[in-house]
Amino acid sequence: MLPPLGKSGFNLRRCHWIVPDPLLSARLLHQLEQLELVSRRRSRSAGRGERQSRSRGQSVDFADYRSYVLGDDLRHLDWNLFGRLDRLFIKLYQEERELPVQIFLDASESMLFGAPAKFDFARRLAAALGYVALCGFDRVSVRVFPEPDAGTDPDASAGDPVVLDGLLAGGGGRRRVGAEAARRMALLGVRGKRAALSFFADLAQVTPGGAASFNDAIRRAALQVRQPGAAIVLSDLLDPQGYSGGLDALVARGFHVNVVQILAPEELEPTTFGDLRLADAETGAEQEVTFGKYRLKAYRQVVENYTQKLREYCRGRGLRFFRTRSDAALEGVLLRDLRRAEVLG
Amino acid sequence: MKFLSLDAAWFALILPVIVIFYLLKRRRVRVRVPSTVLWQRYLAETQASAPFQKLRKNWLLFLQLLLLAFAVFALTRPYFAGQQRPSQLRVVILDASASMQSTDVEPSRFEAARREALRWVDGLKPGQLMVVLQAGPRTEVRQSATTDKAALRRALAACAVTDGVARMSEALKMAESLIRDTADAEVHLFSDGAVGSLEEFENRNLPLVFHQSGVRAGNVALASVDVRPNPENPRQRAVFVSVANLTSQSVETTVELGFEGEPLDVRPVTLPAGETVPLVFIVAQEKDGVFTVRHTAKDDLAADNEASVVSLLPAPVRALLVTKGNRFLEKALRSAGEIQLSVASTWAAGMAAAGAGADATGAAGVWDFVVFDDVAPAEWPAVNVLAVRVAATNWFEATAPVRAPSIVDWKTTHPLLRFVNLDNVAVAEAVGVKPPSWGQVIVDSTQAPLVVAGEVGRQRVVWIGFDLLSSTWPLRVSFPMFVANAVEWLNPSTRKAERLNLHAGDPLRFEVPDGVRTAEVRSPGGEWQTVSLDAGAREGVFGATDRQGQYRLRLGTNEVAVAVRAIDPAESDSAPRSEIKVGRFGGTAATTMRSANLEIWRWFAAVALAVLMFEWWYYHRRTA
Repeated sequence: MLPPLGKSGFNLRRCHWIVPDPLLSARLLHQLEQLELVSRRRSRSAGRGERQSRSRGQSVDFADYRSYVLGDDLRHLDWNLFGRLDRLFIKLYQEERELPVQIFLDASESMLFGAPAKFDFARRLAAALGYVALCGFDRVSVRVFPEPDAGTDPDASAGDPVVLDGLLAGGGGRRRVGAEAARRMALLGVRGKRAALSFFADLAQVTPGGAASFNDAIRRAALQVRQPGAAIVLSDLLDPQGYSGGLDALVARGFHVNVVQILAPEELEPTTFGDLRLADAETGAEQEVTFGKYRLKAYRQVVENYTQKLREYCRGRGLRFFRTRSDAALEGVLLRDLRRAEVLG
Repeated sequence: MKFLSLDAAWFALILPVIVIFYLLKRRRVRVRVPSTVLWQRYLAETQASAPFQKLRKNWLLFLQLLLLAFAVFALTRPYFAGQQRPSQLRVVILDASASMQSTDVEPSRFEAARREALRWVDGLKPGQLMVVLQAGPRTEVRQSATTDKAALRRALAACAVTDGVARMSEALKMAESLIRDTADAEVHLFSDGAVGSLEEFENRNLPLVFHQSGVRAGNVALASVDVRPNPENPRQRAVFVSVANLTSQSVETTVELGFEGEPLDVRPVTLPAGETVPLVFIVAQEKDGVFTVRHTAKDDLAADNEASVVSLLPAPVRALLVTKGNRFLEKALRSAGEIQLSVASTWAAGMAAAGAGADATGAAGVWDFVVFDDVAPAEWPAVNVLAVRVAATNWFEATAPVRAPSIVDWKTTHPLLRFVNLDNVAVAEAVGVKPPSWGQVIVDSTQAPLVVAGEVGRQRVVWIGFDLLSSTWPLRVSFPMFVANAVEWLNPSTRKAERLNLHAGDPLRFEVPDGVRTAEVRSPGGEWQTVSLDAGAREGVFGATDRQGQYRLRLGTNEVAVAVRAIDPAESDSAPRSEIKVGRFGGTAATTMRSANLEIWRWFAAVALAVLMFEWWYYHRRTA
């Protein structure tokens, strides 16, 4: 069992023990510190941060005037205006709040495919985006789905902490969860650059697997979030049930949604030909296909059509969409492609 | 285009079988994939759940239907109707003479003719008969009348070209007899036109169709080769060679002479176009052997570029002249080469002088031939005979004497009349006889034969039907020449040498010693063939002399060389003829008729095979 990870209770040596294979290189971390997450919505979070909000408060950015009423702080009176108009006005400033950033990380069975695996790429991307958010004093939550099954969680034991079941499954009651669930809980509400290493360590130990219903998982997570902010969905979006239900729920909840579709090279360019019986890794459904090199072009067209349909869906709802490959260079994706897609700025 | 087997269209019912093949399930490899979402969308465009669909562009289906269409089309045996007459019987005569070996068409005229004949076999309709004859030195029936195309093809394939002449009249006679009872029959002759004289078929209305092969005349031939004693020195041999240039251009070549495989002489020769150049080689000969002559010019016909001659050493000929006195004849005989001549007034006296019995067989061991000059023997000796004015014997049936017969014809091609001109010969009276069945009249008059030559059993007989002293012939130059020719012709060794020098296709006849039951003959190719001889047979015959060159005949412990040559003026002149002359006025032009009913199923079958192979490749390319 891993020791409990306090946000301030770790040092560099401990992090190396937890993260034997660092998700991100030091050079990339340094480059990421220059970026920030782009959000078109004003933060409605209660915590203070560095994002503009609709609230008026203390900052250096002038916002508006209002008439003086008894009890206002005299330090905010505009004396120049009083001199010209002979009336008292209070200067109002924009309140800077934190931006809640929700990263929805698909850890289903289908994400284990590819060389490198789609989940590995998605996890590193989540780490990088989370780090950008942490550097921007935003609150980062990585919501991994599907949730580990309590009955099959190999790490669950009598000594594990008891948590509110609703936090994980949306249901009522309390239940005892394993270390995997605890690690996933530690990925929620992370704030501050100093929490980055524990954030990386927890993220690195997430165990993928299991069947997921994309729509259900996203819909449930959207309801759990108190303050909607930026949402980044990292998934292959190849759920047989579709993706619109989950994404619609995020939009309805008021998230500023960024969708990143991650496909494996084998999904873009299949390398197995002949008379095949294809078995779905998650549902177990089988499909007979006769496939040859001569049909590659048609298959590519199908993939492009699927992606295009997804892109148009996102555009219609004001979502940002970006597709990448699991064997793509992470630096290129972050520093060039996502900036071009205006996910990062 | 029509179809010979339209019933084969039933094979089109195989089409549903193709559909069944498409319904069969395949053995598939199970592969685990992240999601089948994309594959389902992919399949949605290539498959359908409905039982029927709009026919999509499927190359495999197209190829299979194309393959089946070609196969069914081939099975219906489509053909193009040719310019044929509805003949129920066709006699195919394939010329297998030496000139058909010419390579002016690839690979040879014979093969081109055979190909054309095969096309006609392919064009046979059901019920039509065909006969295959091979016309060479002998006419062979390769296939009797049949409708079986396979048998006809085998028969044509079994035909082989020879180095001999084409005795086309024999073949046409046979063909004529075959079609005699069939009203709508045709005789198809596949030849280059070098077929000799067909005079006897003039006005016979033979339904002959001539398919001509050959495109040019490009032959340099040995026109003649002969070995004779050197007139100036009988100890030496003179090899007379004439080389004919039958091309349209001057040719420079060399002529080589060899004896028993050893080269003796080589001479360069320039042959003007269309000219024949004679050459004489004077050589010494120490033993019996074979002279071989060849020229080295490259031409279209190789068969007549080389010729061999068996030459036997000259031996003195022993002759008996039984005469009442004829100095002209005696002197002529004595001057005719190496001859040991005895003269007697009667046959009995001659035999007595020789110490032999006066019977017929006793002369065989003493004389090589006997000359009876106006003396009738009691019995013809068992040797060669020159009889002058001897009639009323068992060989001749006498009629009334003929006064002052005028010579009207003589056979200049006969060896006895070589270089003999009888224009200025007058005869006072001749014995009247009927032309004997065993002999050939070589000098004829208006009333009676004057000179007859022939063979009675194994005896050669020359008969002169008038008294030499009652004619002007002894005073003419032609007389000693005739006597010299007669001495040579009657010399048994000459006959022996003649038997050892054959033209291709002529049968080899040989005397069989007592006790020998088999003979072996080695052909120029080196194969030995055994000839079984009947018990008591005195003469054997070997017929497979179709190729020119040296043969070896082995009889018991004796072995002799036999030379077979392909020299023949008609064959050497390999210029293709566009017309076959039939008699003086008749003729058959080369036809432009193509094979009737040209079947084209093979082409469709070949295309079907090609489509099958392409489909195989395409299928594996798809699933590779």
